[in-house]
Amino acid sequence: MTKTTLLGTAALVLLGLGGFASAAEPIRIGVVTPLSGTYAPIGQQVRWGLELATTEVNAAGGILGRQVELLFEDEEANPAVATQKAEKLFQVNKVDFLTGTVNSGSTLVVGQLAERNGRLIATTVSFSDAITTDKCSPNVFRVNARAGQQSAALAEWLAKDKPKAKVYYLGPDYEMGRSTVAAFKAAAEKTGAQSTGEVFAPLGSKDYSQYFGQLRAARPSVLYTSTAGNDTVRLLTQMGEYGLLRNLTIVGASGTVTAQNIGAIGKAADGFVTGVGYSAELATPENQAFVAAFRKAYDTAPDLYGADSYGLIGFFKAAVEKAGGTDTDALRKAMEGLSWSTPQGRKTMRAGDHQAIQDMYAVRIAADGASTRFDVVGTVPGDAAIGPDLCTRF
Amino acid sequence: MPEATLRTLSDPGRAGPASRLSRLAPVHWLALAFLAAALGFAAVAWATGNGFYLRLATEALIFAGLAMSVDLLLGYTGLLSLGQALYFGLGAYVSALVLRDVAASFWLAMAAALLAGGVAGLIGGVIANRVKGVYFALITFGLAQVAAKTVYNTRALGASDGLIGIPQISIGFGPLSLDTADPLSFFLLVLVLTVAAYAGLAYLMDAPFGRTLAAIRANEKRVPFLGFNAWRYKLAVYVLAACVAALAGALYPMLRGFVSPELMFFETSGNAVITVIVGGVGTLVGPVVGSLLLTALRSVVGSWTEHHLIVVGVIFMLSVIFLRKGLVGALLARLSRRTGQGRATP
Amino acid sequence: MADLIDYLQFVLAPQALNGLSLGVAVVLMALGLTIIFGLLDVINMAHGEFYAMGAFLALTLAGLGIGFWALLVLVPLLMLPIGWLAERWLIARVFHSRDRHILTLLLTFGLGMIMEDLLKLVYGPNTQRPENPIEGGTEILGMFLPNYRLFLIGFGLALIAAVWLVVFRTGLGAMVRAAAFDKDMASSLGVPVRRVYAGTFAFGVALAGLSGVLLAPIYSVFPTMGRDFILMAFTVVIVGGMGSIQGAVIAGLLLTQVQALSSLYISPVWSDPLVFGIMVLVLMVRPQGLFGRLGHA
Repeated sequence: MTKTTLLGTAALVLLGLGGFASAAEPIRIGVVTPLSGTYAPIGQQVRWGLELATTEVNAAGGILGRQVELLFEDEEANPAVATQKAEKLFQVNKVDFLTGTVNSGSTLVVGQLAERNGRLIATTVSFSDAITTDKCSPNVFRVNARAGQQSAALAEWLAKDKPKAKVYYLGPDYEMGRSTVAAFKAAAEKTGAQSTGEVFAPLGSKDYSQYFGQLRAARPSVLYTSTAGNDTVRLLTQMGEYGLLRNLTIVGASGTVTAQNIGAIGKAADGFVTGVGYSAELATPENQAFVAAFRKAYDTAPDLYGADSYGLIGFFKAAVEKAGGTDTDALRKAMEGLSWSTPQGRKTMRAGDHQAIQDMYAVRIAADGASTRFDVVGTVPGDAAIGPDLCTRF
Repeated sequence: MPEATLRTLSDPGRAGPASRLSRLAPVHWLALAFLAAALGFAAVAWATGNGFYLRLATEALIFAGLAMSVDLLLGYTGLLSLGQALYFGLGAYVSALVLRDVAASFWLAMAAALLAGGVAGLIGGVIANRVKGVYFALITFGLAQVAAKTVYNTRALGASDGLIGIPQISIGFGPLSLDTADPLSFFLLVLVLTVAAYAGLAYLMDAPFGRTLAAIRANEKRVPFLGFNAWRYKLAVYVLAACVAALAGALYPMLRGFVSPELMFFETSGNAVITVIVGGVGTLVGPVVGSLLLTALRSVVGSWTEHHLIVVGVIFMLSVIFLRKGLVGALLARLSRRTGQGRATP
Repeated sequence: MADLIDYLQFVLAPQALNGLSLGVAVVLMALGLTIIFGLLDVINMAHGEFYAMGAFLALTLAGLGIGFWALLVLVPLLMLPIGWLAERWLIARVFHSRDRHILTLLLTFGLGMIMEDLLKLVYGPNTQRPENPIEGGTEILGMFLPNYRLFLIGFGLALIAAVWLVVFRTGLGAMVRAAAFDKDMASSLGVPVRRVYAGTFAFGVALAGLSGVLLAPIYSVFPTMGRDFILMAFTVVIVGGMGSIQGAVIAGLLLTQVQALSSLYISPVWSDPLVFGIMVLVLMVRPQGLFGRLGHA
């Protein structure tokens, strides 16, 4: 064999090896999500959504020829733990991207960490407006709808279905509970609803019967609540006990009735209406395929957390392909203004505040004890629901 | 044992610090060994090039400060505080507010936290020290709950989201300065602070003040007959513990850049108590060792399973039943048997 | 005058009645706690988790087709051996140490931690709820009260009376009180003290479990439900007097009334601090509570 052939073969082998190595180098996405604790069911849906999307993407060849790898860590819905785990994922596991945080505290804190580590994160669950308004960050993106969008959809439905309704407000007495009520109240009053009173119960109240007297006295036709989890179960079932569910329409925030508590609420959830960005009953062909695949893989229907998390991978893939890699600045540029397709239709990531614009829906629960459906009873187009860009940081 | 205690109390002009050093109790040798190990660890972690391990260890040391404050009360005075996180969180919030809104000065933040801890400790101490034993535990528990809830609901303090945007600062010691953004130098600083706290507290506990506390722990009713006002000593050690916790808490936002109400929740207090029991109650170095061990354990176990509470809980219960004096205590017992030297505490 | 009567009938009375049903629930929880403390000098920090365990057991058994009424008997019976073993294997080990109070507090704290996580492991974190066995409601004097709550009040009061009867009017109860008063003397008189200890702890635990079964239909079931009651139950026990049944009943009913009625006038977020404030006040002014201890009351 001549020297040139030898060198040539060696070069080819090395190139081949190098090429093989870079093709095999996976894209790592860190997922810091509550896998234990009260928010574990949300973390579970997030996990399922991400895993389903990743399996599909990997089966179709990955992103730019690289397979996607998900690395999960439990944040226990505690920002102190989230920051620790996120740092581990950034520095030890060297993830290219991070997602999964559920409560807004964790999202904000991990976002700050991302800035310090020069990486990007996205949230698929946190709906506190602050994340893309006054506390926005150039390294944080949100693919799910925020509270303002949800309120817009619900208020619109309320104005159409129950014009000039008398509304009573009941929420858990903490920052999130109060601000959600305040946001919806503002939106509803703008469309003609009358407010007949409000009460805030301590977070984790066992017994809501002590508020029923005031509720009855106000004689509302609609009750808006921003409770979540166990609190919703207790509120709605106790209201059913006391016969308050007749002649009263209950509406609420997106987190009020979810897969975590709907089993326990049972029939008392029938007729509950909320404004969300997703319903498993959406009739688009993408959604039907998605729901079928989800059910097949996990034996349960996806909820909005599962769907939004699934959509995140599509977002990430489109961005990486547009940027040609996972370099942070290029990725950020690619993500801003990006439009991509999700089970809920097309979403667009607004460049000014990193908030996804999407069509919003008013969804009503039909619960007859045997099964539950989330029927879509109203739609608000993305641009109408989105609200102004209040992020001034970038 | 009681004779030794009496002699010390009535003879304060005993041997000075220098000859004390040569008769260092085994627990202090253990502390020195720990310091050496920590320095070795720092070198190794720095060599790996990523700051995660160093910052994790720094966090463990910060929580070790909280655990030491619990040990001051439990191990030396016999008072179980289930709400020490109140002062830890207070120090953290005060420090965060100072750094973010007043001046990016390490010294100012620490001073403010110290002051806040002292004042809060005084108030809390006056309320809690009216009672003993389990009632004391329940009152401290309740105090922390109420405070945590208040912070959780206060918008000015960030409510449930807490405060972010605490800047990374540089700390000046005359000509030298170090950056909190640099994991190695901040770790070393916190290590130095921890060792200084340990040394200071250990000295105090060996001094007449500490002996009186030991007497209170042994039999509070007898103490007045020896001429000491038990209540004053209990209040003093409570305020001291609150200050230690607050100073430890003040370091947290410097490390992580944020504070959140979870720092005041019962979980934090409970973890501190577990750390003390598993590490070694009444040794001061035990809580430090315990904190490092449990932080590492949680990090590792947490990656396998989300049910790490069961693991920690089992270890904790085993310590309560079988290893009464914790890991360090068991180690010290072995060492004492070999060297024939022991601590003169009941 | 008519306004006052209206106010009494439509505002105060329903609120008081609601407070009563909550009060009965709290008393049942506090009873077990105070009996355990009164006799064993043990602060059972895991009491809330035993309450949760009762509710979850009820769910599982109901899933097997067992009816609610059978559950009321079955669940406490199943919890008895669990409590017995907890006492024998865990508490008895630290019982003879000088720091008993603190050690048992820590031990039960650790136990509670493990139990909560175990429940999460076995049942998952979702909220669940058994069907309400008694539907519908009744109008009483213009107030509407769900039938299940009326049942709760009635059954709860009957249960409290039964416990009081057993403790103060039976031979078994006499043994328990004797052991609480002076265990060495009781032992020398032939009372099987160690068995009494284990049995009492088991009984307290069974009461907690029974509360779990009773409250599950209205308060629903989830792994951290034990924390719902813990502050309130301890406050009741302290205010009533550690170890006093009378105290637990009176303090329980009183405190829940205070909470229910005060929520009409002050923001509900102050109800927990109010309860805590009362506890601190009582501890500072009269540490032995209203009625003192089991053996000594």
